[in-house]
Amino acid sequence: MLRKLRKSLIWYVFVAPTFVLYALFVAYPTFETFRLSFFQEVATRQEFVGALHYIRLLGNQVFLAALLNTAFLGIVFLIIIVPLSLVMASLLNNLHVWPNFFKAIYFLPQITSTVAVALVFSYVFQPNWGLVNGILREVGVDPLPLWLAEPRYVLTGSRAAVTILAVWVALGYYMLIFQAGLQAVPSELYDAAVVDGAGPLQTWWLITIPSLRPTFIFLFITGTIDAMSRFSDLWMLGGPAGTPARSLQTIVMYMYQTAFESNDFNLASASGVILFVVVLILTLVNFRSFLGREFSSQSGV
Amino acid sequence: MAASENISTARPTTTLRGLLSSQRNFKRLQQVIIFTIMMIGAVAMIAPFEWMLATSFSRSANVAMPRIPTFFPSDPSTFNYKVAITNLPLMRYYLNSIIVTVVSTLGYLFFSSLTGYAFAKGHFIGKSVLFIILLTTLMIPFEIRMIPMYLLMRQLHLSDSYAALILPFISGGFGTFLMRQYISAIPDELVDAARVDGASEWTIYARIVLPLCGPALAALAVLSALWRWNDVIWPLLVLSDRSLYTITFGLAMASRSQGIFTGVALATSAIAILPIMILYLFLQRYIIRGIMLTGLKG
Repeated sequence: MLRKLRKSLIWYVFVAPTFVLYALFVAYPTFETFRLSFFQEVATRQEFVGALHYIRLLGNQVFLAALLNTAFLGIVFLIIIVPLSLVMASLLNNLHVWPNFFKAIYFLPQITSTVAVALVFSYVFQPNWGLVNGILREVGVDPLPLWLAEPRYVLTGSRAAVTILAVWVALGYYMLIFQAGLQAVPSELYDAAVVDGAGPLQTWWLITIPSLRPTFIFLFITGTIDAMSRFSDLWMLGGPAGTPARSLQTIVMYMYQTAFESNDFNLASASGVILFVVVLILTLVNFRSFLGREFSSQSGV
Repeated sequence: MAASENISTARPTTTLRGLLSSQRNFKRLQQVIIFTIMMIGAVAMIAPFEWMLATSFSRSANVAMPRIPTFFPSDPSTFNYKVAITNLPLMRYYLNSIIVTVVSTLGYLFFSSLTGYAFAKGHFIGKSVLFIILLTTLMIPFEIRMIPMYLLMRQLHLSDSYAALILPFISGGFGTFLMRQYISAIPDELVDAARVDGASEWTIYARIVLPLCGPALAALAVLSALWRWNDVIWPLLVLSDRSLYTITFGLAMASRSQGIFTGVALATSAIAILPIMILYLFLQRYIIRGIMLTGLKG
């Protein structure tokens, strides 16, 4: 027994560093976010206040607007990026000239830091002389859109500008994941379709897209999580308040502002817990709605 | 659907219909159309960067921007770059970025693979429980735990140090998971044979397992490096000392103060971006392969 324990000791040494770090920087902070959300700092002492912060948040227009805004930006982004990248990936998959060149170019914005990209785009969308409006003026658009200075829900406002930015950044990554999925579709399926006399578009619609199910699940789940925790690019463009008129504020930005500008770590933690719950629910919904059938037959991603 | 539109709009002319009669010509036309669409996309990908470069080399960009965007500066000058380098300790920022990225990535590779090896080939009590604990938290975004992490760093007196930027990221659930999956595919016989020969687990890990993990380690290195190099939210929480700013974070902080000087701001971002782009040109095959292997992005 003792010999066996000593023999397995080395394995505990191997997993120890990861679990010490895990305890310190994952388990403890996650737990602590939950704990802090039920407490209130009263004269340097933490006092239990129950669900007070959650009640405060649910009656807080700024928080609710940030929550809604995060969801809105995420949904619009996914609705655009998924079909667009699927079509582009399918086209690129059929291209015999320079496929790797295009793959590399489309992926370029993804390796560039979000900060630098957002900085460049703040000038690209400058209303008077920015790249976009410069081109629009050349083709005779009048009046020119205000982009990042327009907080309303319009097609040429701040939300549209940051959605264009997000699609521009993520396109290469989504295409890459779709291409990996496309290459995994068994070629027998295509052969069978050709035998049955299906045209290329019919094959794409009836064979390719259903076969990409696992890829869709993967992209919807990771895409949802990314969208819900969006911060860097919008913080660069609009500061922690998501200027103009909080049109760019997300939950994480609200969290940051509450914790580090209002110094209310407890309220910020409560908003973090709500973010956690929303992410959890969306992940489960994605799993269930997309994976429901898969559970019996095959595993997903 | 965009594909169908593009193909059908190209069809109507009579000359094209004649060409299309043969299968080979149809294929060739299809290639031309796809190539054109891809090229338009590629131009859209490059244009903002090119415009950034052109503006950063324009002497008058700080005073007045041309109303019609130009892709070549009419008055080329390195003035903005000189101002950018004098304004900010950019070389210092670069050094900080390199230190933080290299140390955390080496740590991430080492500890992830070591723990991954234990989970793949080890025999010990509690193995599956520990592994499941690690997996369940993979989906939790970093942002949810950032506030207590910040408070912890403050309590440990680690704010404003390299340790604050490195320590939380030298191992991780995702890396451990990936390495465990990869090492599991290595045949048990190989490991067992070495054990029979009296090799210690450490020797087996270092001499046999690690050399076989090249692709997985390369993929993890790419991801870790991109995460650390481009991170901005964690430095925002734990750094106030300017001498510790990374290039990404330094650029973010600077852009808030010098935003009105277009030329200088774009020169600064060019300095922050270009070396990474050049590196990417050389390593893009490995980077893209790594992203495809893990499914994650930077």
